[in-house]
Amino acid sequence: MVLETAVEVVLNGLQQGAIFALLGIGLTIILGTMKFLNLAHGALYLIGGYAGMYVIRETTLSTGYLESIGVTTVGLGLGFAAAMVLVPIFGFVVGLLMERYVAEPFYDRPETDQLLVTFGLALIVQEVVKFLMGGSTFQPATPEQVLGISVGGPIELPIVGNYPQWRLYIVLIALVVIGLTYLVIEKTDFGLVVQAGTQDSEMVRLLGIKINRSYSLVFAMGAALAAFAGLIGVSFQTVSPQIGTEQALIPAFLVLVVGGAGSVVGAIFGGFVLGITIAAMTVLASQWAQIVLYAVAAGVLLFRPEGLFGSAEVGE
Amino acid sequence: MSRDGDTPVETDGGTVVDDADSGSGSIGGPIGEAYRSLRENEFSVVIGSALFLVVFPYLLIEGMGMLNESLGDPGIGGYEGLASLVLIYGIIVIGFNLLLGYTELLSFGHAAFFGTAAYSAALLSSTAEISFAGFSATMPGITSPIAMLVFGTALATLLAWPIGFMSIRRSGVYFAVLTLTFGQMLYFFALGPGSGITNGDNGFSDVNVGSLLGMVDFGEPVSQFGALYLPVIGNFEIPFLVSLDYVPIEYVFVAVLFLLALTVANRIVNSPYGLIFEALGENEQRVEFVGLNVFRYKLMAFIISGAFAGMGGALFVMHESFIHPATALYWIQSGDFVIMTVLGGTGSLIGPVFGAFIFEYIANVISGATIPVIGEIGSLWRLILGAVFVFIVWVFPRGAYGALVDLKKFLVRAVESLVWAVRNPSEAPGAFTDWLRGVGRGIATWLRGVGRGVTSRVRGMLSLVGVGGGS
Repeated sequence: MVLETAVEVVLNGLQQGAIFALLGIGLTIILGTMKFLNLAHGALYLIGGYAGMYVIRETTLSTGYLESIGVTTVGLGLGFAAAMVLVPIFGFVVGLLMERYVAEPFYDRPETDQLLVTFGLALIVQEVVKFLMGGSTFQPATPEQVLGISVGGPIELPIVGNYPQWRLYIVLIALVVIGLTYLVIEKTDFGLVVQAGTQDSEMVRLLGIKINRSYSLVFAMGAALAAFAGLIGVSFQTVSPQIGTEQALIPAFLVLVVGGAGSVVGAIFGGFVLGITIAAMTVLASQWAQIVLYAVAAGVLLFRPEGLFGSAEVGE
Repeated sequence: MSRDGDTPVETDGGTVVDDADSGSGSIGGPIGEAYRSLRENEFSVVIGSALFLVVFPYLLIEGMGMLNESLGDPGIGGYEGLASLVLIYGIIVIGFNLLLGYTELLSFGHAAFFGTAAYSAALLSSTAEISFAGFSATMPGITSPIAMLVFGTALATLLAWPIGFMSIRRSGVYFAVLTLTFGQMLYFFALGPGSGITNGDNGFSDVNVGSLLGMVDFGEPVSQFGALYLPVIGNFEIPFLVSLDYVPIEYVFVAVLFLLALTVANRIVNSPYGLIFEALGENEQRVEFVGLNVFRYKLMAFIISGAFAGMGGALFVMHESFIHPATALYWIQSGDFVIMTVLGGTGSLIGPVFGAFIFEYIANVISGATIPVIGEIGSLWRLILGAVFVFIVWVFPRGAYGALVDLKKFLVRAVESLVWAVRNPSEAPGAFTDWLRGVGRGIATWLRGVGRGVTSRVRGMLSLVGVGGGS
């Protein structure tokens, strides 16, 4: 019985942690490289979530502006595999535009101004979505089949018993994406520039590397990861315009402070620590789950302000 | 800055440059001097604010009502409760700005103090049964507004001490996130484990506001004090007071506290103590080198701003008679305080109050207005708010109040150069067209900036008002 619960907690924790990690990596590489604080990160999750929902299936609208002008059915109905390709690309493009038109003018302004303008942007995105699609919630866009493989329904696991099969795939897909991101950052020249930029962007510039172009790419990559997290989120959770602020933004910041600003490994670690914490607390004392989540983050901030894997200067 | 007619407009514009806070532009002579000394006098600041508070509900209801009618009733009037609400948030943001604008610490957790005060004031006044962790009690039902205010503010201040003590050790983003985590812990506590006290997601509505000093009820209109019985004359009506039948006693209570808050904040800002807050915002290290205990001053700034937020929270719950974790403790509420403060402008004491006004006006009045194409705005108000907010952060780094000050300077300069041109017809054409050309250049730079980065836009704005070249 105890073992059963423990394994289930770990599985649930991995799945929640995977989303947290995807969000955290995006936020942390943007902060680490550009010293830019993006409170619109949750909005990118929201955009990815809605985009994912519309690529995966056709959705019937019952409220909102689109419905009022006669558009009642939206979506492409292409399934999850197509969404896995299209949503990150969409997020990437949104990220590029955001870097160019929102972030760039604010690089030289105080970090509070960056927080404020992106906070305003997050509000706008959320409200535009609410205006167009209505404030109502939608069912999770859980796929039944991906590329001919049946992914719906329960699966028999050794210790736990019946477990929703899709949730295992989520963990798998997320781990692959996280792994790829890790390889890009750690093993490629681009990643080298990004990492060097986290340490000393001025020096990278002096070496003759066009860091501004890397900046745009890093920002877009972070945005694509957030959008991908949104896609995964809506594949098993209900969808509403509040998901950006309620499910994504604050967890991403918690991951950031636990893992340490600028550290990809830290974000992955922090994501899974927080994911498993919340899964465990949900079983032990569900009312206290969120409180403990924040307490863990506050504890790390108090006793190790640079985060578990971070360096001291970034983000101060 | 004497203006004898031989001072060219250009150099006169130059003298305004560094004096961003003088506000009055280049009004010279004895009148200008008197105006400036009046501005710097605390007593006159208080009197001026008091006069404004008297006409504020009148302007809001009659003035906006008239504007609404003349525009064909799109729904942009004012209403009774709004004046109190603006001042309640005004108190909060005046305190919040002591932290954000002066000490330059961005807290995303002030909803904690707002909510704590609101809940504790509400609980004090109620007779509800509360229970937590096996312990239960009946609330005392003390309904005196002053007791509620004092109790709520005191608890918020007490809470601000440990939260500040822990958060102040970190700076920048870490400070913001740390305050946010404490605030969120409280929010989830109120929603879940603490729902035996707060009534959780159902909200707490057992708020009983009694009469003020056992004499008058909050809801009664001020106008009842307009008719006096005087021994010789008999019944005497004070015309102005009698006309104020829509101003409740509550407004007077809130306005007096607002004035108190403003006076205290003004005293702090203009004292050596407040100067240290400002110095901390500019360069913490230097303050430390001077030998001052940085931690203590930052903590004090945090606690003071927490007390102001608490005062606002207690007043808010008396105003609304209902409180819910989402409106009291959720981090978005802290974000709203930030929006109000920045919207108004952090550069001055009174600036944030403008932000509170814009925010509450959009939230409560514009949300009911009707505009072409879209129709009823309704729930779109947050979209408008977000757009206004981003626009102001982007284009006017000094907020709405800063923009107003700039506009005033611009107008003063326009009138002055015209007056000068009329007085000196011989040189007039040249001087006046020079000035016009300067304005044109400013507008051109600004327009060019719209397509480019924010810096050129700001430069355009500044040159428009004569700061840093242009004319």
